[in-house]
Formats: sequence, C-alpha cells, structure tokens
Amino acid sequence: MKLPKIRELLEAIKALIVGPYTSKFPYKPHIPHPNFRGQPIYNPDKCVGCLACEEVCPSEAIGHEDITDDSEPRRLMIHYTDTCIFCGSCEAACIADNEGIKQSNDWELSFFDRKEAQETIEKELQLCEICGEVIACKDHLKWISEKIGELAYSSPSLYFSRLKSLGIIDENIISAVRDSGRSDRVKILCARCRRETTLTTR
Amino acid sequence: MPKSVIPIGPYHPLQEEPEFFTLTVDGETVVDIDVQVGYNHRGIEKLSERRTFDQSTFVIERICGICSTSHPFAYTRAVEDIIPVEVPERAKYIRTIIAEGERIHSHLLWLGLAGHFLGYNTLYMWVWKLREEILDVMEILSGNRNNYAMFKPGGVRRDIKSEDIPLVIKKIDSIVPTLDRLKKAILDDPVLHARLKGIGILTREDAIDYGALGPTSRASGVAKDVRKDAPYGAYDKVEWDMIVTETGDVFEKVIVRVLEVYESIKIMKTCLLNLPEGEIDLNIKDIPPGEGIGSAEAPRGETFHYVRSDGTNRPARHKVRAPTFMNLPTFKVTVIGETISDATIILAAIDPCYCCTERMAVRNTKGKKIYHGQDLIRLSQEKTEHIKRKMGIK
Ligand code: SF4
Ligand code: SF4
Repeated sequence: MKLPKIRELLEAIKALIVGPYTSKFPYKPHIPHPNFRGQPIYNPDKCVGCLACEEVCPSEAIGHEDITDDSEPRRLMIHYTDTCIFCGSCEAACIADNEGIKQSNDWELSFFDRKEAQETIEKELQLCEICGEVIACKDHLKWISEKIGELAYSSPSLYFSRLKSLGIIDENIISAVRDSGRSDRVKILCARCRRETTLTTR
Repeated sequence: MPKSVIPIGPYHPLQEEPEFFTLTVDGETVVDIDVQVGYNHRGIEKLSERRTFDQSTFVIERICGICSTSHPFAYTRAVEDIIPVEVPERAKYIRTIIAEGERIHSHLLWLGLAGHFLGYNTLYMWVWKLREEILDVMEILSGNRNNYAMFKPGGVRRDIKSEDIPLVIKKIDSIVPTLDRLKKAILDDPVLHARLKGIGILTREDAIDYGALGPTSRASGVAKDVRKDAPYGAYDKVEWDMIVTETGDVFEKVIVRVLEVYESIKIMKTCLLNLPEGEIDLNIKDIPPGEGIGSAEAPRGETFHYVRSDGTNRPARHKVRAPTFMNLPTFKVTVIGETISDATIILAAIDPCYCCTERMAVRNTKGKKIYHGQDLIRLSQEKTEHIKRKMGIK
C-alpha cells in the first residue's frame, strides 16, 4: 500500500515542478509538426482550373463559379474551409503536378460568420468564339497542348490558345488566316460549335 | 419487495454517446437490463453508396472517431477482395503501423475513462497525457491526430518518411516507462482489486455463446483475434503475442488492454524498423462487378465489412458490422446480479462504441401507443371537456 503511494507522490511532485502539460494556446501559438495535413491552399500561378479537385473532393468542399457576363470571363475556384476534412485528395488529384492546391500547416479556421469560411482564386476563362459557351480555363487549354505536344496542331482551339499564350500570334494574324476561306473553323470553338462548323459546308 | 426501474439516458452527462439503458433493480441488485440504441443513426452505409470507392474511405473513417483506421482497413480489404488483389508489402506495413497506433490510443483512452468512472481522476488525466504522445506520433506519421486519411483501396495515401522514423521510435519508447508505472499502479492498488475483481464476469461459455469479440472475449479465455486467426497486413510477419486471460471479470479486461498496449508498441516498432522498400499504392482504376468481404481487428474486436460492386465506380451495397454489435448483448449476463454502483463500470468494460453500431434503428413499441404533440393537446382538451361535464358547465 505504501509503495504505490510513494510512486504516485513522485509523479505529483514532478508535475508540480514541470507545470501543466497542456499548452498555453491561444496565448501562445501552436505550431504543428511539418507533416501535419492542414487546410489546402490554392496556388493561382500553378492551378489551371481543371476542376479535378472538385470532382474528387469527398466532402464537396470545393466548388467553382463561372463569370461570363462581363468583359473578363473568369472562373472562381472556391474552397470552403468549413466543410473541408483535410483529406488531401485534392492535392493528390491535382493535374498541375500536385501544386495547384497544396495542404498547408494552417489549422486555425474559426470564423464568426460562416460565409467567410471560403477562399477563392480567379482563373481566366476561354469562351467559344461563336456561341460564348465556356470551353475551359485558358491555362488549362495551354496545359493540354503542352501535354500532347504537336498533336495539338490538329485542333485550332488548342494551337491558337498555345500560340497566343506564347505571344507568337495575335488577333491580326488570326483574322488574316480567317479571310482565306473556312474562316469559321479557324477559331477557338467549343465542342458543339466545332462539330457544327465541320459538318456544314459553307 | 417491489422492483424499481432506473432509466439511464438517452442523453446523460455520464455518457459520451446517446444510448438508453433500463435497469430493473431489486433493492441494490440489478435483475434485468435492456439497452436501446439508434439515437445516433447517421445513414453511413447509404452515404458510402453515394460516394466513389475512393471517396467512401473518408466516410467510413468517420463511422467512429476512435476506430478511424479499423473501419477503412476492413473496407479497403473488402474492396480489394472484389478484384482480388494483394496490396504492396510496404503498404501492408504502413497499414499495420497506423492500425496499432490506433489501438494504443484507443486502449489508453478507455483506461482513462475507466479510471474516471471509478473515481480515479488522477489516473484519468495521467493516462490521457500519455495518450497525447501517441497522438503526436500519429500526427507525424499520417498528418492527423485522428481520422488519418491513410487508407485507400489498393494501398495507402501517404508514405512514411525514413527521416521521421527515429523520432517516432523515440517517442514510442518514451511512453513505455510511464506505462510501466501505470501498470504497477493498477496492479498494486488494493482498492482497484477490491473494486474490479470478481465483478461483471463473462464466463468462457457465455463469451462463446454471445459471440463476444476482441478484448471482451480474450479476457474470458477465448483466444480470438483476427490478426492471428486470419492474418492480414503485416501481422504474420512480426512476432507478437495474443493476450488471453481466464476469469473474464472487469479487472481482467483492464489487464488485457494494458498488456495489449505493450504488444502494439512491439508490433509498431518492428514494422517501423523493418519497413520494406517499394510501392505504396496499386493505383486501382476499375472495380469489377462482384462481392467482397473484409475484416480487421479493431481495438474493440473484429470489424466486418461487406461491399458489392456492380461495375460502376460506386459501391452498390455496403454493410458494416462493428464489434460492439456483438459485445453489447453480453450485458445480459455480466450486469444482472451485480449492484447498481458496479453497473457503470461493467457497462463500460466492453469499451462500447454505440455510434459504430448504429446501422439501423427499429423501434418495437410492442403495441404501446405513441403520443405526438397533437395527441397530447387532444387529450388535454378532452380532459377539460370531461371536467366541464362533471361540473355541469356547458
Ligand atoms: S482536403 Fe479533402 S475535403 Fe478538403 S478540399 Fe481537399 S479533397 Fe476536399
Ligand atoms: S489544377 Fe489542380 S488545383 Fe487547379 S483546378 Fe485542377 S486539380 Fe484543382
């Protein structure tokens, strides 16, 4: 009976000297281990706006909104930090070498208003030159043409996006090409318009 | 002497989860017990069937906050059983490491709570402090203290970095001396002996009859452990012992859990030191139509999952059976005949997890009428009418 008591007394004395085990948070910040999987953050320079992350997210914590009604069509990639479960699926699925969205070490996510619990980035959108339908983000088309190399020259939408982004062609050259017959095909088009222009004999 | 009924729950400050016990007592002695669960039904199976095979793991992980590895472990094994494939060696080892880490923290959590139920609040705080260390280890290994998001059909999501291993081993080793002291504190304490020995006995026969699982059955002398009986992961590649004791009282259940923590530490360390090189993921693309079953030894016993695929990317049917489903009915033999003051710790001794168990809720009211708000108002109005009539008022 005595021995256990002495042992526990030692523990108690130790606790008195060392002080409480609990941390001083929020007075002192808590910095987690570098391996910690915290809130994912978009990298607007790397992300191409392909929506793969939205597709795989198990908790529907990623959404997007396409704004096409003003002069700068753009896609908002929205990450809802309140529903995110920090699983890392988005990072694992990201086509931009897993760098478009990356889990950070950040874990402090309290908000007074739930509407604030979201982070957005903007990506420029490419619209169909005939019908104005969303094709993809400009960076995404560039990404595809880089990925498939010279095969991109089989699709005007792809090679125009690519050449434009490289600054090799500008609007004037495109309009010059357009004038030499079948100008309707020499455009950046959505899949439906491309099919229609190909099938019609104008 | 007339019997009295003590209702505990469904929402009770003592319990972390909603469940409803009806204890029928004769004086101090419990003569009957009834348990109702289903207050926490979340439709997990249906949710899982709406997600893809890969996404389901995250839903499954959230069946239980404590067994957040056992359920995905059983689920991924079930999905791999449909194809069927063997996951790479390294993935098997990593899975085993995570599963054992979970067992350590789960057993420590239970031990702390048991101390709290018995009025040993120092033990409670002490053990939970120890548990923090293992949670830190899990954070280093998986990136999360809980809900590790490590499992996926075909492998694991995250590799263990070799530079982290020395720190992890150091941390695991550091809990052993405290655990030793803890073990001695429990074993030498005459009060705990007096309090826990000989109460809530689950005999070997009853354990077999009720199909008890995990530490509940092993404390009763039934050597049953999926890790030994049908080895999965890396359990057949490392040396470890199954802890089995004889009498099946609450004290033995404590002992089994404490000793299992040592075994888990042993397994975890061996796996970390012998981690084979290689791939960690098979990158499964398609799941063919078919059925698969998978089981894993959770800290509370065997978790069992059944998955049927119809060739699409979502499970057509997913069935979950948690260990508490089997352990819960043993209350009928362990609690009856004991005093009310012992009932709490006996109920806690199987380490019940009700939210794991609640797959379906059926209410059998046995012909009793259920009064809704409208019915109550009607009854009240009828009574007024009745009084009015008696008093002769129109
Ligand atoms: S971490 Fe998981 S839950 Fe959060 S946004 Fe990425 S995929 Fe969705
Ligand atoms: S590039 Fe990566 S981050 Fe950007 S939308 Fe695609 S998957 Fe998401």
